[in-house]
Amino acid sequence: MFRNPYVAYGVLASPGILLVVGIATFLILQRTLLAPTAQAAPDQPIDFPHTVHAGMLELDCTFCHRAASEEPHAGLPALEQCMFCHTAVQPEDNEQIGLLLEAWNNYEGVEWERVHQLPDHVQFVHEAHINAGFECSTCHGDVEEMEKIKQVRDLRMDDCVECHLDNEAPIDCTTCHY
Amino acid sequence: MACQAENNIPINEESAFRENRAIEWIRIERYWTDSEDFAESSPQYLPMTCQHCGNAPCEPVCPVYATYHTPDGLNAQIYNRCIGTRYCGNNCPWNVRYFNYHDPKFEDTFTNHLNPDVTVRSRGIMEKCSMCVQRIRRGVREARYDGRELQDGDIMPACAQTCPTNAIIFGDLNNPDSQVSQMVASDRNYELFGELGTAPGLTYLAKVDVDAEEHSEEEEHAAVPQSPVIWMTVNG
Repeated sequence: MFRNPYVAYGVLASPGILLVVGIATFLILQRTLLAPTAQAAPDQPIDFPHTVHAGMLELDCTFCHRAASEEPHAGLPALEQCMFCHTAVQPEDNEQIGLLLEAWNNYEGVEWERVHQLPDHVQFVHEAHINAGFECSTCHGDVEEMEKIKQVRDLRMDDCVECHLDNEAPIDCTTCHY
Repeated sequence: MACQAENNIPINEESAFRENRAIEWIRIERYWTDSEDFAESSPQYLPMTCQHCGNAPCEPVCPVYATYHTPDGLNAQIYNRCIGTRYCGNNCPWNVRYFNYHDPKFEDTFTNHLNPDVTVRSRGIMEKCSMCVQRIRRGVREARYDGRELQDGDIMPACAQTCPTNAIIFGDLNNPDSQVSQMVASDRNYELFGELGTAPGLTYLAKVDVDAEEHSEEEEHAAVPQSPVIWMTVNG
């Protein structure tokens, strides 16, 4: 027996309502689940504690991410740079430093997982923002309190553009896309 | 080569040339002087790159505004906007826009040799000479950090940097003291396809043919190109 769905389910099944609900659901999902901020923080091959280095020891970000104030890419420190300190700092009960030493002694790199994934067509220039006086935490959050680094900011284009407008920075396309 | 390395241009294989789908942001056009005897004619070379027209034919035909004019006078291509209609390439009198018919191919050894400051373009979008906009932006930033105005020679595109005879010169046309401004003032200066009225940002200097009688200037034998791109003064 054919039953007209509009009759059976009343107003809820009407195309207009479905459309409105659909759009609302999509917008909510886009803002929450689909946002890059909602990505799970990846596990790193070595549990590098920013809480210790940036928090307890109060090292400056550029102490390790040396290129941040001079180059577009902040860069990850080479193992050699870890070993500046860890040739001396080797607590025996720490497994993670053991992993570091193992990689160092075997001439292997550590394949860190990238946390902040910008698309390839976006050129974010770290030096420009650092030299303009912004703190790293403006975008990266309070890293010194994070056990595991995660993305805290939306970092999509409207986020960038809003901040650029607030600070009277150029919003010409070729500022970031080239 | 400098351009290919600077701008992550994929390796053109022989098949790409056979298909007429090779990507060369700057190419060398070759002409032969008029002579009935082939042995006596000599080749003339003309570097051909995006002319960065002030009144560009490629810009109004783009349905998604992927190509547009920057405030500093560049004709920019925004890769992530491009949907690959190829209208712009069709409308370019110089044929200097290149479409990515294939995904870019690099040798395995190139993985760590790509320029991190330039996007690697994927299949299905248009690309062209950007006048090394990444170098322009970097030069502008560095001048700002040093707290000075941009000077002549602060910024150099890869092609100008690599040219051993300084045949390609880049500079600020708004600055009357810059080298390009003075060269543009020369009566040897001409625009390629100037009759189209596209106001190219690149002009060429006609070659003085020393072999010709009375050292007459032969306008057809252009050899010295220069690229006077106008950029905005930097603020903030």
